[in-house]
Amino acid sequence: MTQTDNRFHWQYVGKHVPLFMLGLVTGLLTTVTLGIYRFWAKTRIRKYIWSSATLGGDSFEYTGTGLEKFLGFLTAVVILAFYLAIVQLVLFYFGLSIIGESENPEGLAALPIQFAPAFVTVAATLPLIFFAQYRARRYRLARTRWRGLRFGMDNGAWGFAVRALWHWFLTVVTLGILLPRKTFWLEKYVTDRSWYGDARFEQNGKWSELFPAMKHLLIGVGILVGGVAAAAVIGFALALILAVVGTMWTLIGFVSFRVRSFAYLTRQKTLDGHICFRADPKTSTIVARICLGGVAVSLIAGVILGLIGDYAMSAVSEIVVDGETSAMVLTVALVALQYLAALVLMDALVLAWITQPIIRHLVQSISVLNAEAIDAIRQRASDSGADAEGFADALDIGGGL
Amino acid sequence: MSGSRGRYFDGQTAMRHRVDAVFDRRTNELVISGDTLPVSQRWPAARIRALKDEAHEYRLTITVHSAGNDEAQRDAVRLSVSDPGLISELKRSCPELHRKDFRSGFIRRIAIRSALAAAAVVVVLFVLLPRMADTLARFIPVERETAMGKSVVAQIERALGGTERNALRCFSRGGQAALETMVVRLTQAQELEYQVNVLVFDHDMINAFAAPGGQIVLLRGLLDNADGPEELAGVLAHELGHVVKRDPIRYALQTAGSAGILSLVLGDFSGGALTVLLGNWLLKASYTREAEAEADRLALEMLNSAGIDSGGLATFFTMVASSEDSGPDLPAYFSTHPAASERADLARKNSRTQRDTAPVLSDREWQALKTICNVKQSEQQ
Repeated sequence: MTQTDNRFHWQYVGKHVPLFMLGLVTGLLTTVTLGIYRFWAKTRIRKYIWSSATLGGDSFEYTGTGLEKFLGFLTAVVILAFYLAIVQLVLFYFGLSIIGESENPEGLAALPIQFAPAFVTVAATLPLIFFAQYRARRYRLARTRWRGLRFGMDNGAWGFAVRALWHWFLTVVTLGILLPRKTFWLEKYVTDRSWYGDARFEQNGKWSELFPAMKHLLIGVGILVGGVAAAAVIGFALALILAVVGTMWTLIGFVSFRVRSFAYLTRQKTLDGHICFRADPKTSTIVARICLGGVAVSLIAGVILGLIGDYAMSAVSEIVVDGETSAMVLTVALVALQYLAALVLMDALVLAWITQPIIRHLVQSISVLNAEAIDAIRQRASDSGADAEGFADALDIGGGL
Repeated sequence: MSGSRGRYFDGQTAMRHRVDAVFDRRTNELVISGDTLPVSQRWPAARIRALKDEAHEYRLTITVHSAGNDEAQRDAVRLSVSDPGLISELKRSCPELHRKDFRSGFIRRIAIRSALAAAAVVVVLFVLLPRMADTLARFIPVERETAMGKSVVAQIERALGGTERNALRCFSRGGQAALETMVVRLTQAQELEYQVNVLVFDHDMINAFAAPGGQIVLLRGLLDNADGPEELAGVLAHELGHVVKRDPIRYALQTAGSAGILSLVLGDFSGGALTVLLGNWLLKASYTREAEAEADRLALEMLNSAGIDSGGLATFFTMVASSEDSGPDLPAYFSTHPAASERADLARKNSRTQRDTAPVLSDREWQALKTICNVKQSEQQ
């Protein structure tokens, strides 16, 4: 039915309420188990979302398990404990040397001591973060199936980390002008190592063709910088308006860049040399999803939390009969519980009403051309999944799905 | 026999097989056959498993259990059916449809890896980091350590509510001179690598800190509550003990190293944990009990060789001990120290063996020190 002129379309069948309930239940379990359940929670949510995506009528499948993620996390902790302790200590030591060289301990030297901790952490972990990103993507692909065939990715996490550091460095020193170059080459590195069964993906195209995707980003920054720079000439009020408009435009420009580069890079991918993709996601749709979803989420959360709060307070006033201390303890405990419940609730709401609609839109904007060639693709050997995303989980960058 | 339509994937190719699936009650097997299948498949009911957390409401995707090397224990074959009759038949006839299978030995694997992870954290925190911190501390030039110490003192000031530098710093010529008299008398027999620098901050807390590079901070609460100069000299001697052992810089290095691990275990990687830890360490000066006992020992040694009565220190610890007993008002600083009453006993015992003691300050000097906070450094020219 979704198969017309040898083209496969994507559908997304996931619904708000079931995913919200899944997010809520797994979130509560995660809280109750002091975070240990988070590996199982993420696995279950992925199973739901993966199975919601259907291509040519056949669902995707996520075959990871919470247990292997937990084991991978424990392994990563062993390695990271040594690495982080040593690297942070050594970097802190060299940070001290830099402080010592400054003669004036009150001005500039006081700054590093405050920012040193955060800076040291970032510097020590940046290569690891890129490493973990690649390994996480490899694990996700190794645990994704469609029509019973595995996806997969070759080894190459350190190569990715080195390239990512270099491209990010170039992007930062050129004030973001080379963002398209970074986006393209990193995606190409990853795509060229990705497989579906025994068929390899390939990233074609040119990085310079991503420049048009930056249009709105540049306009936004232009308005912002221009407005601030011309403040003396055009007056404070007008400059303020321009700054606000510029900021909004820049934020939307970022989304626009992500969406348009995603579309371009998807269109320029091939599978097995002759299976191609079409993608036309709309920035406006995604921005609308974020805004509408945001409003819906805050409304629902407001109502639910208000009700919980009322109930909690009335419960306190009923229970409190003997002395003030117990009332204090009870109130504090209730506030803490409410806070945790609010976090879990917000996460589940955002997942069902913001993340999922965006995934739905992106997925449904893609179609596969020359789809009949897929039938000839054969199974690939299973991949142990290495650390099962353990590094990403330990470094807390596996936040995304 | 004709059954319900289904989509079958053989786990070998990406081809979709249109199949008929029938549950054979006689043999208790699901029979799958189709034109594109060379032979029909027979799945025993006991091995059939359904995929979990599926989004499709009216579709059931099933596979078979296979004892492989992966944690999921599922074969690569898949069958997707939508016929309600067959779905309810499967739910009725497959006893283990929703069973979760584990690879053998999974409990042992969890136990081993948890133990390894815990052991790694313990070894790093309690063996590796202290050793490395001690070694690195030896290589830090004194002037750099002093510069760091000054930054740390500035941070303490900010943490205590000082809006700008020296906002809390108390200074009077007489008071400062009295402090220096004490330091000189206490350290005359010690070989110190630093120029000791004692500051007083205007704050109610009964507290004192030793920062890296010989920087020592006393809070006004300590002066207000001290019964006499000997009491203050005792506390000062304790902080000097930390300075002699270079505790502040060693613990700063250690804290910097352990912060990464703690944020790892706590799952917070914004670097917030490190900042919090450093701040905590500054305010609580949470050295180990051994380091505190060692500083106490050195303090008594300094008091003895300077001929200052350690009864003052005993009085101070007794005061701390009574505030410990009286409940939650206990100053946080002292909670990580050895039990105050034991320390009071030690100081008292020591004071009984002391012979030629002389007052550490004259009355006039002591008054100058007690009133040092009447004038602020920032108000002076």
